[in-house]
Amino acid sequence: MASVRRSRGESHFTRYLILGAWAFFCLAPVLWFLSIGLRPRVEIITPQPIYWPTFSLDAWHMIWEDWPMAKYLRNSVLAIIGSVLIDLVLAIPAAYSLSRYQYRGRDDIGFYILSTRMMAPAIVAIPIFFLFRNFGLLDTIWALMLIYAAINLSVVTWIIRSYMLDIPKELEDAARTDGASDLRILWEIIIPAILPGIITASVIAMIFAINEFLFTLLIASTPNAYTMSVALANFTGGSDGVIYNAIALVAFLAFLPVFLVVVAIQKHLSRGLTMGAVKG
Amino acid sequence: MTRSSLSGAGVATAAPVPSATRTFRRRNKRLKVLFPYLLVAPAVLYLMMITLYPGVYAIIQSFYAVKFGPWRPVGFANYANLLNDYQFWGALWNTLVIGSISLALQCVIALTLAFFAYRDPWVQGWRIIFLIPMLFMPSAVAFIYKLAFLDARVFSDILIRLGMIDTHLAIQSSVWMSRSLLILADVWQWTPFLFIIFVAALQGQDEEVEEAARLDGASWFRIFWYISLPLMKPVIVVALVLRAIDITTMFANVFIITKGGPAFGTETISYFIYRTGFKFFNFGYASAASVIMLILTIIIAQLVVKRAFVSSRS
Repeated sequence: MASVRRSRGESHFTRYLILGAWAFFCLAPVLWFLSIGLRPRVEIITPQPIYWPTFSLDAWHMIWEDWPMAKYLRNSVLAIIGSVLIDLVLAIPAAYSLSRYQYRGRDDIGFYILSTRMMAPAIVAIPIFFLFRNFGLLDTIWALMLIYAAINLSVVTWIIRSYMLDIPKELEDAARTDGASDLRILWEIIIPAILPGIITASVIAMIFAINEFLFTLLIASTPNAYTMSVALANFTGGSDGVIYNAIALVAFLAFLPVFLVVVAIQKHLSRGLTMGAVKG
Repeated sequence: MTRSSLSGAGVATAAPVPSATRTFRRRNKRLKVLFPYLLVAPAVLYLMMITLYPGVYAIIQSFYAVKFGPWRPVGFANYANLLNDYQFWGALWNTLVIGSISLALQCVIALTLAFFAYRDPWVQGWRIIFLIPMLFMPSAVAFIYKLAFLDARVFSDILIRLGMIDTHLAIQSSVWMSRSLLILADVWQWTPFLFIIFVAALQGQDEEVEEAARLDGASWFRIFWYISLPLMKPVIVVALVLRAIDITTMFANVFIITKGGPAFGTETISYFIYRTGFKFFNFGYASAASVIMLILTIIIAQLVVKRAFVSSRS
């Protein structure tokens, strides 16, 4: 008994040592980067790094006054919301079909949808670039919306499908004997029942859309359609080099809403990230 | 809605016009067979826009020399050149090396952290802290690492202060240090992805099995190694497959931190295609590389992904 207690005490110590070390490793760069955002530009790249900088809001004024940050923010928000709506409209019926009906080719169709998640952006970038150019969509948020929706459709469909599979069939059978049609059952029974799944899928799609880099870089060639992610990469003041304090503040601006939303759906996160394969 | 109102109409007209009812029933039946296909069709058609269309387009373009002017047919020349292009093979090799080291590190670290965290009373708190790096945009993470290691040299400075090295590290001129930097940034940002999934899987396991083993005197580590880990295998496979997909398409870090250098030592396949197509405007050549990647992707999807997701469901 004594040995059990001792080994538990030891494991507590190692446990907190290891978890604490990783927490430090996670947070130290973040806090240091925050300090970059709140210091004047002359204190960023110096012969000796400055660990206790002067506090300054230079970068804050700069991103709003010298850069069309409000526009970038608006582009990001519109493109992302639009893409999530497109995804939900397409994915909910598809998930319903994949989870509720028996038909030939169903599993192959499901796998085809899943497999598009594997598509490397670089592989399809060139044809998509020409496609959008031919339709005159380059450099518009419409193109971003369409491409984000395409990237995330597989994830959204599979997450929603996984939640639909959890709903007991009896729930529907009762409604069906009352004479309700399939679409009505989907709308009035299934969708309310899987609302957490729909929200999870939307959040995951939102994160992936914010993070998307390569397509946005190719499609958005002027500030007209820049999003936060690509605006960052272009935050170079020409001969002045990279403007790190502005980059840091924009990074935190984009981080905060994502963080709050993700904390809110924490319990569903693992299920969302694995496209429904792991039920957390 | 449509279906119930249709069948309702069928019933109403049944008595006076029997032949109409029959056609109607038949149509109704066909609709019933087609209905699930109709539901899934819009999503499939939409996805074909980013898979089938680009695939066909890239295959056609790969047989042409496409620069600024009109397309000039070249047969298999693009493919022949590609197979002799040491930069293409280098990019494949770099992707494999950086990706597999990074994935292995992330898996081991995430399993270790999950093992320590999932029974902890503060598991929620750990999860939120560990999650933070994952929620920054990849381009922002790339800048954090570019600044800390290359531009402001904070990392070197700390090592000098600790007395571990004498002069600043010349990271940019060393292939392996540059690769390590990309790996470090990826491990920092994406280990939480695996951690969250592993913790959820461990928490979802039957506690009674653990308790029984515990009463038999097995240590936590033995329980983890011999009981929890084998049970987790399907979950680990799914998580690693998803992570592997994203690592092999790594782009933002390469684009911002190393630009593929030094001496193409950190050029990944995504960056190779980007550079060939959009920097040198050699679209036919880049398309040939895309087609080869596409074929590899399809093979891997059929062999690995299908199995991983099928086994996880049962």
